[in-house]
Amino acid sequence: MRLEYAAIIGKREYLARIRTKGFWIATVAVPAFIGAVVLGPSLLMSKTSTEQRLAVVDATGSGLGRELQDALAPGGEAGGPAGHRRHGGGEAQVRFMVRLVPPATGAAAQAAQRAELDALARRREIGAWIWISREGLAANRFEYHAESLSNVITQEALKQRVSEVVGRWRLRQAGYDAAAIAKLVRPLEAQTVRISATGSRAEGGAAGFFLAFVLFFMLYMGILLYGNQVMQGVLEEKGSRIIEVLAAAVKPTELMLGKLGGICLVALTQMAIWAAAIAVVTTPGLAAALVSMPPNMKLPVLAPSLWLNFFLLFLCGFFLFATFYAMLGAAFNSAQEAQQLAGLPAIFVVAPAVFMVQIINDPDSALSVGLSLVPPLTPLVMMLRIATRMPPLWQLLAAYALAAAAIAVMIWLCARVYRVGILMYGKKPTLQEIWHWVRRA
Amino acid sequence: MNASLELRQVEKRYGDFVAVAGLSLAVPAGVIFGLLGPNGAGKTTTLRMIMDILAPDSGEVLLFGRRRRPEDLQRLGYLPEERGLYRKMTVVDQLLFLAEIHGLPRRRALPAIEAWLARVELADWGRKKVEELSKGMQQKVQLIGTVLHEPDILVLDEPFSGLDPINQGLFKQLLLEYRQQGKTILFSTHGMEQAEKLCDHIGLISHGRLVLGGELKEIKRQAGGNSYRLVAPMTAEDLERVRTLPGVALVTTRDLPEPPAPPEPPRLLPQQDAAPAPALAPETAVRLLLAPGASGPALLRRLVEFLAVREFRSEEPDLEDIFIKAVRDAA
Repeated sequence: MRLEYAAIIGKREYLARIRTKGFWIATVAVPAFIGAVVLGPSLLMSKTSTEQRLAVVDATGSGLGRELQDALAPGGEAGGPAGHRRHGGGEAQVRFMVRLVPPATGAAAQAAQRAELDALARRREIGAWIWISREGLAANRFEYHAESLSNVITQEALKQRVSEVVGRWRLRQAGYDAAAIAKLVRPLEAQTVRISATGSRAEGGAAGFFLAFVLFFMLYMGILLYGNQVMQGVLEEKGSRIIEVLAAAVKPTELMLGKLGGICLVALTQMAIWAAAIAVVTTPGLAAALVSMPPNMKLPVLAPSLWLNFFLLFLCGFFLFATFYAMLGAAFNSAQEAQQLAGLPAIFVVAPAVFMVQIINDPDSALSVGLSLVPPLTPLVMMLRIATRMPPLWQLLAAYALAAAAIAVMIWLCARVYRVGILMYGKKPTLQEIWHWVRRA
Repeated sequence: MNASLELRQVEKRYGDFVAVAGLSLAVPAGVIFGLLGPNGAGKTTTLRMIMDILAPDSGEVLLFGRRRRPEDLQRLGYLPEERGLYRKMTVVDQLLFLAEIHGLPRRRALPAIEAWLARVELADWGRKKVEELSKGMQQKVQLIGTVLHEPDILVLDEPFSGLDPINQGLFKQLLLEYRQQGKTILFSTHGMEQAEKLCDHIGLISHGRLVLGGELKEIKRQAGGNSYRLVAPMTAEDLERVRTLPGVALVTTRDLPEPPAPPEPPRLLPQQDAAPAPALAPETAVRLLLAPGASGPALLRRLVEFLAVREFRSEEPDLEDIFIKAVRDAA
C-alpha cells in the first residue's frame, strides 16, 4: 500500500467531481428541498392569514357582542389578528372583521333579519354571521352561518375566542371582578427544557424533532447518494476501460481506497457547506428575521459534540455502504447488472426510518439501543438517538468500535473482489463466482 | 545479450484453464520484440503479468535483470488492448493525471504534455474534454499518456488494433524512434505482417507456451532455402496428395487472381437442371515448407508425376508459414 498513490487517485476523483455542475446543483438543491418539505407547510401556515368578515348578532342584550367585537377584532372594524394554537406548534393567523348587528325585535323581524344576513353572505359582503342568544348559551352553543363550512381552522379560532369571551362574561355574571378574572384565566405556555450533559437550556420540542429529522435526512441522503456514486465511478472506469491503465500503475487496493477517499471528501465538502448553512440559519436572531419564526419557537443549539458525532457517523455509514457499492461496481459491468444487489443497502437505510418515531420518542429503550449497535444500522439510528438525547458514552464507543470492525471486514472483502473484478469484462458474474474471487484472491 | 525483460517459467491458471504454461522468454535491451500468437494464446495474460497487474502462479518476471521494484513503474509504459480515458476530463488534466500515477511530477509533466500535443497536432485541444475528441484524437492522447514519462520499456498489447491509418503510421514511427534511443519495446499482435515489418525479435506463443523465439533474421534464415512456391492446376485430391508427400512439412495455399467467369448465355427458356459439368482443375498456387534435410529437386520429380507444374521456385519463407508450422509441430 502506497498512500501517495491512493492520494493521487483520490485527488483526481475529488477534483473531477467538485468541478461538475451536478455537485453544486445538489449542494443547493438538497437543502432547499429539505427546507421546503420540513419548513414549508408550517411557514405557509404562519404566513397565510385568513380573513373573515363576520357579522355578530348579540341577542343576549348584555353587551356580550361589544366584548366579542373587541376580542375578535381589536380596534373596531379594522380587525386584528387572533392567535390560534394548533397541535403541530405552528401558528395560524386568523383575522376577523367584525360588524356588530343589533338584533331585531320580535320573531318575524328576527326571521327577516336572518334572511337578510344570509343574503349578505351570498353577496359575499360578509363571510359568515354568528347569532348568540341566552337560550343558545344555556345549551353551550352559538350559531355560525356561512356558505362554506370547510374552513375548520377559522371556525376553530372563532370557537376558541368566543368560548374565552363567554367564559369571562359568565364569570362576571356570577359576580367575579373583571380585573380578577383577567388575571385568573390567563392561558399557560409549556416551557420545554432540554436536559443535556452541558447544562439545560430551553428549546422547543418541535425544534428538537426538526433537528433530528434534518440530520437523519442528511445522513440518509449522503450515504445512499455517495455510495451510489462510488459504484457509478467504478463502473465508469470499467466501462471506459481506463481501469487497466490504472491497474498497471497502482494496486487495486490503492485504487479502491483512493476512490473511496476522494468521494468521501466530496461528500464531506458538501456536508460542510450544508452544516455551515445550518449554523448560519440557526444563529439566534437571524433565523427569526429570515423566516419570522414565532417567538416562542426556540431553535436548538447545535453543539460541537453533535457535529462531531454527525461526521463520525457519516464516515461509518459511508465506508460501510460505499465499500459494498464499490464491490458491486467492480464485479459487474453495468448499473443494470448491479441493480438487483444495489437495492440491498437501502434496507439498512430504510429500517431506521421505520423505527424513527419510536427511537425519537424513547432513545434509550432496548429497541433503540439494540438497533444502534448493529453496524449497518448504527449511523442512522445513533444519529436519531444523539439528536434526541445523548446516549451513554459506552454505548457510543461500542457502536463505533463495532462499526469500525465491520468497515475493516468490508474493506478487506471489497479489496478482494476489486482485485479480480475490475479486469473482468463481459459476462455477468454469479454470486458464487464473486465468492470464489474473495476466497482465491 | 543484455535482457531488459525476462520471464522465467511463468505460469498462470484461471481455475482449470492454463493461460500461460511455463513460459520463458528474454527481451534484449534496445529491440522491438513481437509477442505473436493466435487469439487466446496467452499474450494479454503474459503482458499483464509483466505489468504486475496479475501475479503469476509460479515462475518470475525480471526487469533489468532483477525482480521488479515499485520504482520500476516509472520506467515502464503500458498500453492495454482495452483502451480508455476519463471522458469528462480535459486532455491536459487527463495526461497530468496519467503522468502523476507514473511518478512524473506535474511541473515536469506539463511542458512534456505541451510538446507532445503540438507534435501530434492537438495543441489546440488541450482544454477540451476527452469526449469532445474524435476517436483518432483519443488514440493519440492515449499514446501520449503511455510515453509521457519516458519509459525505458514499452509494453503494448495489440497496439495497432483499431487504429486509423494515420495513427498506425504515427505509432510505427514512434516505435522506431524509441528503438533508436536504445529503449525496449515489447508488443503483442496476431497480425504477422506488422510484426514482420517492425520486429527485431519475436516470440511465438501458442496455448501459453513459447513455440519459437529469437531474432527474426535468424529464424527466417533457418527456415529459408526450404521454402518453395508451386503453381499448377490442382484438384482438392491433388492438393491432399501434395501434403502427404515425404519431405513436405507444410502446405499453405496462396491467393491467385481468379480467372473471370465466362459470361452466361442468355436464357430464353427455363432451363432444365443439367448435371453439373466436371470441374476443371483450377490453377492453384501453394507454398511448400520442406522438412529439414528434404530436397527440393527430389520433391519436384515426385510432383511432375501427377501435376502439370507451371512454376516451382525457391523463396524466402514468410513469418506466417513459420508460425503455422511451429504451432503445428508443438501440438
